[in-house]
Amino acid sequence: MNPAHFSRRTFLADMGMGFTGLALGAILQREARATGPAWTPPDGLPHFAPKAKRVIWLFMNGGVSHMESFDPKPMLTKYGGKTIAETPFAGVQDPAKLAIERLIVPDANGNQRNKLYPLQVGFQKHGQSGLEVSDWFPHIARSADRLAVVRSMWTTDSNHMAQTQFHTGRNALDGEFPTLGAWVHYGLGSLNENLPQFISIGTREYWIKRDGHYLGPRHDAVPLRIDPANPLDFGKADGGVSADAQAVGRELTRQLNTLRGVEYPGDPALAARIASYELAARMQLSVPEVLDFSKETADTKALYGLDRPHCREFGTQLLAARRLAERGVRFIQIQHGGGGAGQWDAHSALKANHAKNALAVDQPVGALLEDLDRRGLLDDTLVVFATEFGRTPGSQGSDGRDHHIYGFSVWMAGGGLKGGVVHGATDEIGFHAVENRHYVTDIHATILRQLGLDSRKLEVPGRKRLEIDHGRPITDIIA
Amino acid sequence: MRKHSIVALTQAAFLLLAAGTARGAADYERDIKPLLRGRCYACHGALKQKSGLRLDTVALMRKGGESGEVVVAGQPGQSLLIERVAEKDAEERMPPPHEGEPLSPAQVQMLREWIAAGAAGPAEEKAETDPKDHWAFRPRVRPATPVVADAGWVRNPLDAFIAKQREAHGLVPQPEAPRGVLLRRLSFDLLGLPPSAEEIRAFENDQRPGAYDKLVERLLNDPRHGERWARHWMDVWRYSDWWGLGDQLRNSQKHLWHWRDWMVESLNADTPYDEMVRQMLAADELYPGDPAKLRATGYLARGFFLFNRNQWMEETVEHVGKGFLGLTMNCAKCHDHKYDPIAQADFYRMRAFFEPYQVRTDMVPGEADLARNGIPRAFDGWLDAPTYRFVRGEESKPDKSKVIAPGVPALLAFKEPVIQPISLPPEAWQPERWPWVLDAHIAAAKAKLAPAEAALAKAHEKLAEAEKEEQDAAGIQAVAGAGAEVKVATLALEVSRAGLASVERRAAALRASWANAGDAGDAATAAAKAEREATAATARHKVADAELRLLRAAADKRGALEQEVKKAGEALGKAEKALAVSSEKYTPLVPAGAQWSPTRFLDSTKDDAVVKFPAQSSGRRRALAEWITDARNPLTARVAVNHIWTRHMGTPLVANVFDFGRKSAAPDHPELLDWLASELVESGWSMKHLHRLIVTSATYRMSSSLAGGEASAAKDPDNRFWWRRTPIRLESQAIRDSLLALSGSLDSTLGGPSVLPASQAASKRRSLYFFHSNNERNLFLSTFDEAEVKECYRREQSIVPQQALALTNSPLVRESAPKIAALLASADEAAFVRQAFAVLLGISASDAEVAASAGALEAWRKLPNSTPENARGNFIKALINHNDFVTLR
Repeated sequence: MNPAHFSRRTFLADMGMGFTGLALGAILQREARATGPAWTPPDGLPHFAPKAKRVIWLFMNGGVSHMESFDPKPMLTKYGGKTIAETPFAGVQDPAKLAIERLIVPDANGNQRNKLYPLQVGFQKHGQSGLEVSDWFPHIARSADRLAVVRSMWTTDSNHMAQTQFHTGRNALDGEFPTLGAWVHYGLGSLNENLPQFISIGTREYWIKRDGHYLGPRHDAVPLRIDPANPLDFGKADGGVSADAQAVGRELTRQLNTLRGVEYPGDPALAARIASYELAARMQLSVPEVLDFSKETADTKALYGLDRPHCREFGTQLLAARRLAERGVRFIQIQHGGGGAGQWDAHSALKANHAKNALAVDQPVGALLEDLDRRGLLDDTLVVFATEFGRTPGSQGSDGRDHHIYGFSVWMAGGGLKGGVVHGATDEIGFHAVENRHYVTDIHATILRQLGLDSRKLEVPGRKRLEIDHGRPITDIIA
Repeated sequence: MRKHSIVALTQAAFLLLAAGTARGAADYERDIKPLLRGRCYACHGALKQKSGLRLDTVALMRKGGESGEVVVAGQPGQSLLIERVAEKDAEERMPPPHEGEPLSPAQVQMLREWIAAGAAGPAEEKAETDPKDHWAFRPRVRPATPVVADAGWVRNPLDAFIAKQREAHGLVPQPEAPRGVLLRRLSFDLLGLPPSAEEIRAFENDQRPGAYDKLVERLLNDPRHGERWARHWMDVWRYSDWWGLGDQLRNSQKHLWHWRDWMVESLNADTPYDEMVRQMLAADELYPGDPAKLRATGYLARGFFLFNRNQWMEETVEHVGKGFLGLTMNCAKCHDHKYDPIAQADFYRMRAFFEPYQVRTDMVPGEADLARNGIPRAFDGWLDAPTYRFVRGEESKPDKSKVIAPGVPALLAFKEPVIQPISLPPEAWQPERWPWVLDAHIAAAKAKLAPAEAALAKAHEKLAEAEKEEQDAAGIQAVAGAGAEVKVATLALEVSRAGLASVERRAAALRASWANAGDAGDAATAAAKAEREATAATARHKVADAELRLLRAAADKRGALEQEVKKAGEALGKAEKALAVSSEKYTPLVPAGAQWSPTRFLDSTKDDAVVKFPAQSSGRRRALAEWITDARNPLTARVAVNHIWTRHMGTPLVANVFDFGRKSAAPDHPELLDWLASELVESGWSMKHLHRLIVTSATYRMSSSLAGGEASAAKDPDNRFWWRRTPIRLESQAIRDSLLALSGSLDSTLGGPSVLPASQAASKRRSLYFFHSNNERNLFLSTFDEAEVKECYRREQSIVPQQALALTNSPLVRESAPKIAALLASADEAAFVRQAFAVLLGISASDAEVAASAGALEAWRKLPNSTPENARGNFIKALINHNDFVTLR
């Protein structure tokens, strides 16, 4: 066989299929089809019947205290001021249990902090389920019966690269890997050709700025700055050129780029650029429409807190997220609290820090759940509320908590999951996840399962994934 | 539960034991070693051996340290290790306070069990590598050029290093890229601009063997080369125009463009890299009398931060470390570096080199107003400022028991920097002595004469007009008014003349004082007199001016104006009386050649006390610069060549370009890195030599295409071993500049003040001249990954839809496309299309591409209101949106 010839033909065939973003490895593997077992790239269809169509991924940068949000630990208050060794829970410091931490040497942060720090906020039971939510999150609490709280998360990086780890499933020491959003984008076809299928909103602080990695830049998130006054940079069409003339130009650019693929087959950047140009033209019309809130009722705007300065920014982002979800965007990733290590990083003055951040996010998140539900969108939209790690049961300084990887909480809602359930548990002081422990990729697996994707079928030849990369779906919370 | 001999178990530890024993005895590899590595190695390992103790192998533990053996097999009770980690007194305990939490009782118990069980370890346990053996800290040795199988492929030794590795990995190099691609590659790489149509033709026609090398020489000697590479170094060295809040300057300095111009000029002159580094860090000490070189210290002026000296110093240490040395010194601010042999004190020792420095702006010839122009530069203003170590890095906790002296990390002290205070020439600390300073003041005073004369002439004309109409009462009044205006204008001209005389006399007096001439006293007397005469002239003008306003005032305003006239008259009386006094005291001219950039470190709303210009400089930065640029410094040249390589080749040799420490991945081609570094140093640190080596190599000339390279791609998909070229997404500046160049609109003026945001839309200057700061970014440029001014050791190369929109809808593209089409005017359509491909993309268009283009051109022409010209403009726009327009193939 003539490999060059094959490469060219394959590239053109990809164009015909509208599947321009194939990773290099994928194309190469197809070349080798004659010698190896057949491998085909994703066809954009789910592998089995999906329960959810799209994901709204809310990520709190810096590390939210699990004990002061969704995993109350009254023992902290009872034993407040005592060292862990002085309490009946001394066993938490069993080195075998602590050994999951993967830092070559400890940072100034990420220490265990031995002196227990009392809870800084009260908790109430909410809804019919009686799910416990801290008083910092009254609006989310109203949706208690919609939440599936996983209280038994763990990760391995006790510094903020854990933000990346939560998205890629890999400790930063291992290198760079595709993020969950990139996998979803890679695996599933489009629900709306006029909008990017994978959007990133907010600041990715400790992140490697790309998502696709070996899947190719085609699967990077498209960053969107949510500013209704100025929805899209350079979004205003060239008035001097008619729509017909523009269409001819776009088609020519597409053809010429495609023809370049003859000499440069398997160039992921070329494929990504072709896709991004085509998308750009459509975004010119679609994005301003998405960010035009004029047809939203005053009630809806108030629901998201657009009239309240402390939550206006996040509320605007979440209202936009709902509108994007409504229009078929697959994966909407929103980071809250950019700046430094992330605004939730309460090494000191935890009470003031979390109260302020909760004020910024609680009402919009509560609004999002309610709004999605009343529009019937929550059934097939998965909302995720996550953070890179929890915070230490012990105090840092007089009034803060340090990073804590051994146990923390994440919740999900909608998308065919059970509502009003708590899954997994940490020990009595919130130190270790002790019951139904879940590594971060179990969240990925659960989401992929609901989207109808089998991560093993998405694997790219030559890029072996580990068992832990795939994770296991948390079946207990699936309805 | 197993019985245990230790009695003093707390209840907690007792419970723990249950958990521990359930798993069986502690295993060294699984349990003990990770614990020690995590908690002890930083001080008792390869990095440091506090008290002579290492814990990174069992053998080393058994050997012990200054206090003898610390592990006695089978005897936990006699093992010092246990005693110290279990110690109750925090001061005696290991790890010490602030180095980490105490070990938990369970961890201590685990260690006990392991020792009790015989303290067994693996047979051939390897100790941690000595940090001195870390590749980047080893002295640079010029490696021999390897012998390779494919010797015919090798154009210069660089290729041999690449070929050796590639052959070892069974990879086959891709063929050389087509000539058109190579020309475009070279042109962007060395000039940041595309080749012109003529250059393309000339290169295509020149098939002589030396054509490529000749082209390289021409490009390297083109003044636009300096602009191109200055922009790269502006990224690395954190160039930023000033920013703050509103008009308040908080960061960097005004007129920092002088430093940028210095970069452009130095690169064009092939000023050696080491010399450039020395000038940036210490030109004020090395060349205090050379304003052109003083511009280099804009590097330090960039660090200015109005409110916090500690933050300013910390950023300086951080980026001197990252930028010149590939060292994350900043990681040692609060504690000893966890990976590299940098003690916390080393951070502050490094800071001490910079502790005395302050920032000021020096006058330039022809401009007396520092708000309009001046050179921001460094000088040592705080000669006695002590440096203290901050306990745990907290600025509220300086350890005042010891003043930290400047110094370098011990491992890199191939020589201790020698610090000798420097006596500065008079111009450096009395900058009014620069000849142009007094000239500029005189010129500024002179410049006021002409407008005053013009105003007087106008007043006379007005009076003449009024006199013609002097027929009635109103006319008479008009004449009186116009007459008064003439008087005021006459006196205003007198003010300007007296002002000039005053400046001239004072200048003369200053010069006489420097000359130590006998008539200095007379000159001073004359200066003082001229100054008093200027004061009197001003007072006279004020009286006349107030009288004029009184003459024309409405009745209700007269009272106040009468008061004003009276006061002005009194002031005049005083001024005239003063004329009679003789004295040698006169006011110095301000600014006196330079002005300190005021700081507000004291948390007040007022500037800090003025920092004077001392006659000495500490010599600290000169010593540091000499140490950094010493050929023996193992890091400097390696870091520099890695930066240069990255920009030519798309990906670096050392992946983390600002951290060559032990935490970062080692390079795949360490020998190539050292060979390039040796070439740099041995060529006299000539960057042009390095550019030439790289761009004339076979490695550089390979095609970026994967076609035919499937077998290599399967083995090395990420091209770690350079079997093909890695395409580069052009930087934002190159994209904008190429649009201007192709449309024939580029303003090729070199240098000068930054183009302010309001003028950028209309400006045709190259993008490196655009005002760019943390607050002010150009939208078009930032859409293509702008340099972050706080830190940009590498540019992102994103692909997002917003870029397509910028290349479709921005005014720049809309204006450029028809102009480019017009310049390519060729009656024959196929020829036009082929030329457009060549000029915009560096491509020889295939027949299929020509056909597709012709089809589109026809479709456009058929649209209503279409002309052949706008069809061609549309076509050019389609090519601007082509992937290869923004890609360096």
